[in-house]
Amino acid sequence: MTVDLNLVGAKGAIAEAAQGKWGMTIDQDICTGCQACVAACAMENNLAFVGEEDAGYGRTQHWIRIERFWDGEYPHVQATPFQPMLCQQCGHAPCEPVCPVFATPHSPAEDLNLQVYNRCVGTRYCANNCPYQVRSFNWRDYHTVPELGNMVNGTLVFPLHNQLNPDVTVRRRGVMEKCTFCIQRIHKAQDKAKSEGREVEDGEFTTACAQACPASAITFGRVDHPESLVSQLAHQERGVKHLEELNTLPRVTYLKEG
Amino acid sequence: MTATSKYLSGAHEAHDSHHEEDPKQYLMYDPKPRGEMNAMVMESMHTTSWKFWVVLGVLAFLVVTCFFFAWGYMIDEGLYVGGVMRPAYWGVFLVNTVFWIGISHAGTFISAILRVFKAEFRRPFTRAAELMTTFGLIQAGASIFMHMGRVWLSYWMFPIPNARQLWPNFHSPLMWDLLAISTYVLGSTMYLFLPLIPDLAMARDRSTGWRKTFYKILALGFRGTEGEWRHLTVAMNFFAFAIIPVMFSVHTIVSWDFAMAMRPGWSSSVFGPYFVLGALHSGMGAVAMVLFVMRATMKHMDYFIRKEHFDALGKLMLMVTFAYTYFFFNDYIVQWYGGDKATDNLLHWLEEGPMAWMFIQFVFFNIVIPPLLLWSKKVRETPWLLALIGLMINVGMYWERYLIIPVMLTINRMPFTWKLFQPRIEVFLTIGTFSMFLLFYMIVSRLIPLIPVWEVQEGQMTHSLRKVGKAKLPTISEFE
Amino acid sequence: MSEATLLAVFEDLDPAANAIEKLHELGVGDENINVISGVPVAHKILGRPHPWTNVSKLSMGGAAAGFLFGIFLNFGTPNLYDIHVGGQFITPIPPGAIVTFEMTMLFALLATFLGVFLDSYFPNYRPLEYVDEVSDGKIAVFFRVSEGDAKKFTDAMNTLGAESVKPAEARQL
Repeated sequence: MTVDLNLVGAKGAIAEAAQGKWGMTIDQDICTGCQACVAACAMENNLAFVGEEDAGYGRTQHWIRIERFWDGEYPHVQATPFQPMLCQQCGHAPCEPVCPVFATPHSPAEDLNLQVYNRCVGTRYCANNCPYQVRSFNWRDYHTVPELGNMVNGTLVFPLHNQLNPDVTVRRRGVMEKCTFCIQRIHKAQDKAKSEGREVEDGEFTTACAQACPASAITFGRVDHPESLVSQLAHQERGVKHLEELNTLPRVTYLKEG
Repeated sequence: MTATSKYLSGAHEAHDSHHEEDPKQYLMYDPKPRGEMNAMVMESMHTTSWKFWVVLGVLAFLVVTCFFFAWGYMIDEGLYVGGVMRPAYWGVFLVNTVFWIGISHAGTFISAILRVFKAEFRRPFTRAAELMTTFGLIQAGASIFMHMGRVWLSYWMFPIPNARQLWPNFHSPLMWDLLAISTYVLGSTMYLFLPLIPDLAMARDRSTGWRKTFYKILALGFRGTEGEWRHLTVAMNFFAFAIIPVMFSVHTIVSWDFAMAMRPGWSSSVFGPYFVLGALHSGMGAVAMVLFVMRATMKHMDYFIRKEHFDALGKLMLMVTFAYTYFFFNDYIVQWYGGDKATDNLLHWLEEGPMAWMFIQFVFFNIVIPPLLLWSKKVRETPWLLALIGLMINVGMYWERYLIIPVMLTINRMPFTWKLFQPRIEVFLTIGTFSMFLLFYMIVSRLIPLIPVWEVQEGQMTHSLRKVGKAKLPTISEFE
Repeated sequence: MSEATLLAVFEDLDPAANAIEKLHELGVGDENINVISGVPVAHKILGRPHPWTNVSKLSMGGAAAGFLFGIFLNFGTPNLYDIHVGGQFITPIPPGAIVTFEMTMLFALLATFLGVFLDSYFPNYRPLEYVDEVSDGKIAVFFRVSEGDAKKFTDAMNTLGAESVKPAEARQL
């Protein structure tokens, strides 16, 4: 279904019906909080390792993070389900209009929220305006920080450079970045399907986090295809969206019993 | 009938004996010949003591180390040398920006609004206030560029297309900011320069050597013919009216940078006027400080800047304090009453969290103490006391901006990310901007006439004292 | 007959106004008189014609140009490269109001400033007829008369209280 979001009045009921294209469900009831998705995302998307000190100060470069909460005071602590948090690929993304240089536009083709690294000038307004706080900023060139390398026979080597994903750029300092729904995998699958003269099938590919999840808590696919797995999961009664009251139209549905 | 009039006249006499001095000294009823005033202003520009050079040297050292060196280091190393992180993506640089734009508002307010309303006490210190506007805006602009992650690409925000005809995004409050601030910088600089031309011509006529060349170039060949005066006054009138809406728009748009964002504490429709009043609040305090320093350190300034000027300024500060209190209360009571969970968390954080001391100081310095002191004429007429109140207000207003930016950013809708902001290199860069402002002011105070002599003379020519009964009353007329 | 430009310096406004009246009586037209003063003096005080100025017209022209530029920025440039952000229109009106307002004001202010330069022929570093006393608050009246009448006018000015009357010479300011 295509809905013109630029219609007068589209921000209300019509837009609500717009499902977007790619979507995700995260089942909080079966998430074990093992952080495999975090590690897989870092491998897939060339995320930088910032070191202990900066990570402790709040500068981790994670596009997905496991949020852990608890109720009550020690020793009567009751844990609540883990909450993986990543870019919700909002339909009405608050981060988009505030960028002065169009570095974070909306993709009409994929209905995703894009980040154009080489257009970014680093005003960090998008990150401030993101109610989910999922954008991470390159505070320095973490890939080449001397303290994080190894000294071998007098030369500085960075072993992790050998596992960088060639499909994804390495971001330099001063630019914003965030989860892309592994857009490089989407494009690879689309290209393959096109060369074989067919549509992309459900489950043919998935994002790095979903692939790595041992409990299969994360499901990725087309939310606008009613027969796809992610669409059926998203329409369960357990499905909730985060901060729905802000009318951001998130594409990620969280499944949680109650 | 007779009894009543006797009673009234008796009361009148008794009342009169308390007010022996002439009213409204700021109108300067002891006019000096223009030549003498010129000589006084010229002498004040030429006189420097060794203390002046020592302070100048210290400031220059601070500018080189804390401004240029620290900024260069930050550009070279990356923003990690600062304290910004998730969730406080914005930090002290934007605090400085908002603070300096606030300071800059006083200049326009005093010289434009008071000119439009023909408030006579403005005459001697319009220039000093306008200089604050220009220099404050320079610091504000520098702070914005410091804040950017890739400052070397900042020209991508200018309204010019790239090779694919992609222009900047005019949806963004930051673009409105860029347009508004550049309009304001250019406008206020031109508005500073136009009334300065006759004074530069005056300085040109009575100086020699390099100063002569300097003034000759800047005075543009101004003689004071009827035509020149006419073009100048028409332009100045237009500027006075046109720059007022620009001034209001600038700080409103700065406030929209915050108010447009979906964040607890920021998304408030009263932020526009609240910020404008906050800017005037800190700006008036800064004017009081500048006038005090000028009067204390420069020669002959006690003729031009009198107790009555401080009195009038103090009344203005009192009025602005009340207006500010009104908007402050408006903003916080609505947020508190709304009961939104995220806003509730934020307000609890402000009143009980580790930054509560700052919130309490801010409330006392800006809202509680100034009205308690400024109601008294004795306080208003004591320059050092007024300057001290101005300093207190400015500290309070700095805390206010600090609370709004890094402290309010700490509390958001994702409790997992909450972290306390700690400034790092920002401390040095803040010292750097303050030093640069003072350095510019000190240099320029010896380069251009800080008193608009021709405006003072114009004022003195149109004022006179008229005797009504036993009292002397001032009369004011206009040349137009 | 060649013409001479005389320059009479007056201490105050009243004698200067009287002198100009006298010049009018003696047949010197307003186009041959010019007044230099250290403060702006309204034309009515000296009985002079209303001086022309283009500054206000130029500011209005600048405002119009700025308005059009603002319209172009907000409603023209986004159409050159379509980018959708935040579910908003490509060319929304509320930001357009802000952009147009700022550009209108900026261009109007710039045009006013340049108008002063154009109308007053600034910057002008050529030699000009001038006396330094003017910036001390004195009023200088220039007038052009035929050379033969110079003596007569000098005397007339002296009787009206001129501090000095002398042939005006252009000099480097």
